[in-house]
Amino acid sequence: MIAVEDLRKRYGKKTLAVDGLSFTVEPGRVVGFLGPNGAGKTTTLRVLLGLVRANSGQATINGKRYVDLERPFCQVGAVLEASGFHPGRKARNHLRVLARAGHAPKARVDEVLKIVGLEGAANKRVGGYSLGMRQRLALAAALLGDPGVLILDEPANGLDPEGIRWLRDTLRSLAAEGRAVLISSHVLAEVEQTVDEVVIINKGKFVAHGSVESLTRSVEGRVRVRSPQAAKLEKQLAKAGLKVDADGDALLVTGGASSQIGEIAAKSQVVLHELTPIATQLEDVFFALTTEEQR
Amino acid sequence: MIASLSSEWLKIRTTRTIFWLLVALTALVTLFAVASVAGEHKENISSPHNQLDLLGIGFLALLIALIMGLIVSTGEFRHGTITPTLLATPSRASVAISKAIAGMLFGVALVALAEGFVAFELAIALPIKGVDFVIQAGPAAGFLGRVLFAAALWGAIGSGIGLAIRNQIGAVVGCFAWLFFVERLITAILRVHAINSHAGRFLPLQATGAVLNTGTRNSGDLLSHAAGMAVLCGWMALATVLALVLLGRRDVS
Repeated sequence: MIAVEDLRKRYGKKTLAVDGLSFTVEPGRVVGFLGPNGAGKTTTLRVLLGLVRANSGQATINGKRYVDLERPFCQVGAVLEASGFHPGRKARNHLRVLARAGHAPKARVDEVLKIVGLEGAANKRVGGYSLGMRQRLALAAALLGDPGVLILDEPANGLDPEGIRWLRDTLRSLAAEGRAVLISSHVLAEVEQTVDEVVIINKGKFVAHGSVESLTRSVEGRVRVRSPQAAKLEKQLAKAGLKVDADGDALLVTGGASSQIGEIAAKSQVVLHELTPIATQLEDVFFALTTEEQR
Repeated sequence: MIASLSSEWLKIRTTRTIFWLLVALTALVTLFAVASVAGEHKENISSPHNQLDLLGIGFLALLIALIMGLIVSTGEFRHGTITPTLLATPSRASVAISKAIAGMLFGVALVALAEGFVAFELAIALPIKGVDFVIQAGPAAGFLGRVLFAAALWGAIGSGIGLAIRNQIGAVVGCFAWLFFVERLITAILRVHAINSHAGRFLPLQATGAVLNTGTRNSGDLLSHAAGMAVLCGWMALATVLALVLLGRRDVS
């Protein structure tokens, strides 16, 4: 289990990167860790992995700090950046180096190369790898110790659509094996299809934590309306207390169901050309919650 | 610690840097050996002492050992491999000490190779010049032992400085500046102002000179072999402690 408790990290005197953040990730769950750029996601993950020291609070994995874990490489796998390779070293050798240092079995090198689909390019120097191949190699390194916890920072960066689907399927199957997966990403649509729940942070502070379903329920849905009498309809909707925004030649109505909007239009004798409820996406939740925070 | 050291050794062996450094070393010692034999009068290279001095050309490998130590450490920051390194070995002290030991082992291997190569070249070049190869086993073994000792320390000094400075170009340029300019400048200033005219003997390059001294050149201003070794050990300890403290304190972000 991953536990972050009242974590605080300040860089210099001015930048407060993480401000009293707390959340937990249970085993067998894939948890999205979301926030705008500069929200403190990477700092939090680096504190969790013992790379950055927190000013206060704690971040533990299975009840211990990363550095205090016995053979941590075999308990926690991490992908933090796609640039942690020597360009002149072959992929297999990169993994051999890490396997030796992290006490992972030698045979595991070829196993993880197969898992990430790089067995054919294992003897190529990493300098010749594409960004997508580097991401796969980074994931292979994270899996070397067959860890129960995976921490991934923007793992979909640089992956093509096929690679993103592969990543999604791989993460789901890894979680199905009982692993806890914490994945930070800014590709919200992608995260939505991959995670069981999300933790949203903004400006280093906790904003929300819950299943994608519960969070999307918490945000009011919108309805797209098109009418040749848009101005008249907008007035009537506003009178009924609904929020109306222009969206090209249509109106986006927040705070009311499509049935209610249809009734208002009928009473006002307004012709409708379109009345489409828009399903709330994780992206809507994200923007609603982070914008609220910023106000 | 053993796992970390083994991993560091594998890192050194699995990039082409080692290959190019060996090429540079071979070219350098061959050039110096041939130039020394060809450019000297027979009488200047015929005594065992003179030939021991020629064997000292292998000390150029100390420079390569230093550079390799610097590259091994600064490369981690240059390529971002410090992150996976610390994930696999979270104890930063273990990483710093493993790098120091790997630097030592690599330095010893390099200098042993270079000295072997120089001896081989001298054994061929001296008879061509009409001079017998008369290096005696006893003094040669003593000299070789001291040069290997210095190589180990210079490899570790390179690793330590690399972890402390982190920037590869800055570290290499800084070390070259020290070796070819700053240390001489400091020594000259100390002499001119007579603050302590012999204090320069304790600087790293001069301490190395004391360790490698074969007694044929003016050694009045050098420490004894043992004192030179002790001083060089002190510089190695300083570089390693600096690396331990700075690597331990800094965030890796």
